[in-house]
Amino acid sequence: MTDKKLKYLDIGCGAGIFAESAARLPTTASVTAIDPTPEVITVAQRHQRQDPLLLEPGRLTYHNTAIENLPQKDGGYNIITLFEVIEHIQQPSPFLTSCLKHLKPGGWLIGSTIARTNASWFTTKLMAEEVLRIVPSGTHDWSQYIQPSELRQWASVQPELEVQGAAWQVMGVVYVPGLGWKEVGGSESWGNYFFGTNSYSYLL
Amino acid sequence: MASSPILMQSPKLIRRLLQLPPSLRRGFYSTASKPEIYDVVCVGGGPAGLSLLSALRSHPSTERLKVALIDSQDLTTSRAASDTRVYSNRCSSLTPASLKFLQNAGAWGKVEARRVQDYHGMQVWDGVSGSRISFDPLNGKNGAGLLDALAELVPGSRFRESRRQYETGNEGVVATMCENQNLTHALLQRLKEAGGVEVLDKTKVESIQLGPEPEDEKALDLSQWPIVTLPGERQLAARLLVGADGANSPVRNFANIPSHGWDYNQHGVVATLQLDHAFAELDRRTAYQRFLPTGPIALLPLPNNKASLVWSVTTPLAAKLKALSTPAFASMVNAAFRLQIADLTYFLEHMDTIDIADELSWRLPNTSPASTGLPQSLPTVKAVQEGSTASFPLRMRHADTYTGHRIALIGDAAHTIHPLAGQGLNLGLADAQSLASSIAYGVEHGMDIGSPWCLDEYVSDRWAKNNAVMGVCDKLQKLYSVQSGPVVWGRSLGLGLVDRLGPLKGMVMGAAGGVR
Repeated sequence: MTDKKLKYLDIGCGAGIFAESAARLPTTASVTAIDPTPEVITVAQRHQRQDPLLLEPGRLTYHNTAIENLPQKDGGYNIITLFEVIEHIQQPSPFLTSCLKHLKPGGWLIGSTIARTNASWFTTKLMAEEVLRIVPSGTHDWSQYIQPSELRQWASVQPELEVQGAAWQVMGVVYVPGLGWKEVGGSESWGNYFFGTNSYSYLL
Repeated sequence: MASSPILMQSPKLIRRLLQLPPSLRRGFYSTASKPEIYDVVCVGGGPAGLSLLSALRSHPSTERLKVALIDSQDLTTSRAASDTRVYSNRCSSLTPASLKFLQNAGAWGKVEARRVQDYHGMQVWDGVSGSRISFDPLNGKNGAGLLDALAELVPGSRFRESRRQYETGNEGVVATMCENQNLTHALLQRLKEAGGVEVLDKTKVESIQLGPEPEDEKALDLSQWPIVTLPGERQLAARLLVGADGANSPVRNFANIPSHGWDYNQHGVVATLQLDHAFAELDRRTAYQRFLPTGPIALLPLPNNKASLVWSVTTPLAAKLKALSTPAFASMVNAAFRLQIADLTYFLEHMDTIDIADELSWRLPNTSPASTGLPQSLPTVKAVQEGSTASFPLRMRHADTYTGHRIALIGDAAHTIHPLAGQGLNLGLADAQSLASSIAYGVEHGMDIGSPWCLDEYVSDRWAKNNAVMGVCDKLQKLYSVQSGPVVWGRSLGLGLVDRLGPLKGMVMGAAGGVR
């Protein structure tokens, strides 16, 4: 059996930082990247044109669309990524269900978001938006932050998703000034974190 | 306009082409001038550039990159000489870390081993006061080179960190002398064996410019890519353009990276020497360096009865030395190592009128070795290989940074250093190793290898370390240029004590070394 290359769907791709990185990997077959905001798609496509590798047919394709309107692709995607998206969605449960429709059996849904605690309110709302002004005020709505346990809860009731053992992964990360993002075990309960959930592969 | 042989032979074809509509015509003529996309274009086929490419070809993550090497010289004629009685005057002292890198890059095995010489100790002494620093790795822990010893003296300094990677490897070898052309030839053999590198030698870079603005909204945008134009209008577009093109680097100029430093008003005089006795292959060899006020003189061992000379002198002195007959030059080298400074000064001032060998023969017995700090084991120079005396100007330069957008500098393009600690080539090899490593990391993580994300790691790894090494070498040069007074006393005391105090070394040298 030859190496199977991976098909990615990056939802809420923004200007394509992750999408481009994924598209360049030798293990990647294709990356489809979507965002409902037309301006960021324009920026992403302009940047894509500066790298001939990314212009290879099918390697990286942008669509200005929301996930709900994305046509179903044959067989779905091996990896669906949702980085810094879900905290901006008012109704996360139906949104995630729409995402799931595109996941190939055996594939992974991977994302990053922020826990809803006093600590995350302090760092991402008060400090980041008001005091240090690293991001514009109003970027985040704290009430939309999601706890890892809530995500896992949602995942556990999805028939396609496996949440036992290694099929559910969470990694808490903390930004350390001067050193960058560092993995801090347990910090997912109060700060930024990555999550990953694997879909059952028996359907393959 | 494309100079295709088909066109030349067929006027009928030319007429037909000229009748085509403009859009098609432009397409035909411009295919020859559309830049070819390369992942890495390295300008400069010296040891730094060649070792970078060897490293890229030896690593699974980077071996599929499309790579080209450009050099104006003919690289195919570079080979190690076969006559082991004759050695090139351009040799370098390779540290164990450099050797390890060259081994991993698959090149060291291709070096002509008979022409290479390990050495196991260094005798270094102060010409004015006779104070010694001598390093024997059997007693010391590791890193017995001059800079390593100094680094050990100042724990916690950035300089010491830069030296960590130069710790000695096997059996107490301090460093290995290797002719530059021996190394270059080995690297080229390695590249030929590995394949996958387009070697464009005897090729001059006509110009480097940024690419053209894209024709429309959908077209490939090379306006931020450096495009190298070669003779015959061939154009290479580089995802990453590496400047390994020497001290006057055209790539560095294209990138508008300033470089600061100064000239030492000195020349390094080199020659191949024949010693008074031969050494067997497994003998332990020693390198010798005496710090004179005019500049350090170093004797570096080569196989058998040969040695390499590097003598830093003022520019006028360099000219006079090169004008001496080879026997007179040989005597002068012996004088420089053995005589008191006052005697040597007389020799240097009058070298064109006196009979050097004669003067030496009566002064030497009247010079007690203890008074000059002369190491007992120092061999006498019997002769100088004909035609091997040469010199090059000494200067210190450091580029303000090593990278730009889609640009990286390595080796002499990035920094030039005084030869007194034998570091120049080793720094260049360490640069190549670091850059290859950053590129591999970039490929593994889906980065565009020409982007700052990928290249910043290289700069932050190398710039500060190189700066520390250059700073120390420069201060050493200045420290030892002084003939008398408190500085001499201070450095003699310092070095003399250093030799005897063991654990207290750090505190004594900390101030005088000026390492920060």
